[in-house]
Amino acid sequence: MYDTIKPSRRKRRIKTIAEKQRGFGQFLLLLCVLLFTVFCFAPVVLVFVSAFTDETYITQNGFSFLPKVWSLSGMNSVLRYGTQLIQSYLVTIFVTVAGTFLGLLVMSMFAYSISRRDFRLAPFLSIFLLIPMLFNGGQLSGYIVFTSWYGLKDSLLLLILPLCVTTMNVIILRTYIANSIPGELMEAAKIDGAGDYRTFFQITLPLMKPSLAAVGFMMATSYWNDWQNALLYITSDSKKPLQLLLINIQKSIEFLLNNSNVPASARAAMGGTIPQYSSTMATVVIVIAPIMVVYPFFQKYFIKGLTVGSVKG
Amino acid sequence: MVNTAVKPKRRGDGFWANTWRNRAHVVLALPAFLVLLFIMYVPMTGLVMSFKNFNYADGIFGSPWAGFANFKFLLASKDTFFQFTRNTILYYLLFTVVGTFLNVTVAIAIDELLFKRCAKTMQTLMIIPVFISYAAVQFIVFAFIDSSAGLINKTLGTNTRFYSSPNLWPWILLIVKIWKDTGYGSVLYMSVLSGIDTSLYEAANIDGANKWQQIWHITLPSLIPMVTVMLLLSVGNLMHSDTGLFYQVTRNNGMLYPTTQVIDSYVLNAILSSSNFGFTAATSFFQSVVGLALMLFANYVVRRIEPENALF
Repeated sequence: MYDTIKPSRRKRRIKTIAEKQRGFGQFLLLLCVLLFTVFCFAPVVLVFVSAFTDETYITQNGFSFLPKVWSLSGMNSVLRYGTQLIQSYLVTIFVTVAGTFLGLLVMSMFAYSISRRDFRLAPFLSIFLLIPMLFNGGQLSGYIVFTSWYGLKDSLLLLILPLCVTTMNVIILRTYIANSIPGELMEAAKIDGAGDYRTFFQITLPLMKPSLAAVGFMMATSYWNDWQNALLYITSDSKKPLQLLLINIQKSIEFLLNNSNVPASARAAMGGTIPQYSSTMATVVIVIAPIMVVYPFFQKYFIKGLTVGSVKG
Repeated sequence: MVNTAVKPKRRGDGFWANTWRNRAHVVLALPAFLVLLFIMYVPMTGLVMSFKNFNYADGIFGSPWAGFANFKFLLASKDTFFQFTRNTILYYLLFTVVGTFLNVTVAIAIDELLFKRCAKTMQTLMIIPVFISYAAVQFIVFAFIDSSAGLINKTLGTNTRFYSSPNLWPWILLIVKIWKDTGYGSVLYMSVLSGIDTSLYEAANIDGANKWQQIWHITLPSLIPMVTVMLLLSVGNLMHSDTGLFYQVTRNNGMLYPTTQVIDSYVLNAILSSSNFGFTAATSFFQSVVGLALMLFANYVVRRIEPENALF
């Protein structure tokens, strides 16, 4: 009884305050923002709807938000990629998890190290960190150096390392250490006899959680969505991440459409038709769904992290 | 005032002594240092390629010198070099102007909205597109503009062949860019807005300022530092584009190159087809050097006008 009264009373109070100021202008504003939201979200809805639309319906009537014929065949034909899809999923998950954890660890250690005031190397390390933001060798020299000097062609390391340490993320972490973790705490730990490593791993790192969540989420999405490194470096099927699989699907559809003399066996494998619409959309759903599921849980941290990072360091 | 002597400076604490005393910090910084060194710094030496006649057998340093031949070649090829440089710059200007305007507008609109819970939900939905990779986005764009099954053609009953009309692509790319980045871009400005002292608005209210005057005289000026920092950061990337947008969304369609090819997508294509490395290396060199110069210049200008907003 008590529980039910309290929230409703609070709600009523908020309403009366807000209602005083809610005029015509507010509703007009709401309408505008709502329209923009629809503009942003409708294409995502279209993907999910077309993934469950009948293939022949799309061929005849085009993509539609309200199709008359629904079907699961798009989703079923995704299973045609079978083991490759599972393999790609595993590769993407491995790269995302390994890259994010490695990056967070390595970057927070660096951030902690350069945030220390009486460390004379810190200014040099900061400059070392900033230069890549101003100047870089470009894609081509990166490609030549990674493949011919390091001999890393077709290696998962090339999916992990290039996105692992970014200047912006280190700045976010360093700013967080400087502004949100009291220096006295670390001094106290030292007086109590904790060494530098212990202070970092047992005091600083646990206190960095909000910023780690924010940076980690952003890193995870960039790992999940990275197609460029995969396209450049990955050649074998067993190391192909999801985004490269998507690109390959598009390329092969294009190839099939442009070449009429496709072997009969290949056509038969696809059930007579080229899987153009609903099944590719089903694949897109499978690729983008995990982020959409995870994102709401991280939104709070990720907005906070952006805010922290924006403070000039 | 109280703790002026927290750290008495030790006598004889030279650079090396200090470093030795902080050896734990050196160790902690080392892994990231190595990653930066091998991933970011070593490839910088590869820029030497632009003065070389590169071949794989001799490698970057072993290849014979070519002097400025690659650059002469660059300047001679009007329809490629000038085309993709022009596209890169024009798209940067278009996206920056429209993007900044929309980010600020959306942030202010959401902030002014009194339906708070509604605003929060709408913001959540708006941010989602930024998390979709361009490899997936191109399928979404395809669903709208395909000539046979595309939503736009079917709804309007037209038969526009978007994938072979280069002059439509600046608009298509602008719309895709707005769709993908505006929600995310506005988050930053919203965080600034929530930090504005509300007593300013109360005072303005008492003085009889209406909503528009409040936005013009209080909200916008407080957003300027953030806008400056964001612009400054983006100027350094003027020569770099959102490669996915130009490579994936256009489906790397040769027919669209006149209006869609930018430096990054050109270089990517050159690497994938392993052709024209000298030309491409010269392009990369040009890209890196111009990028650096622009960044330094922008920072210099900002420091002259408003020293607090400069990056370094």
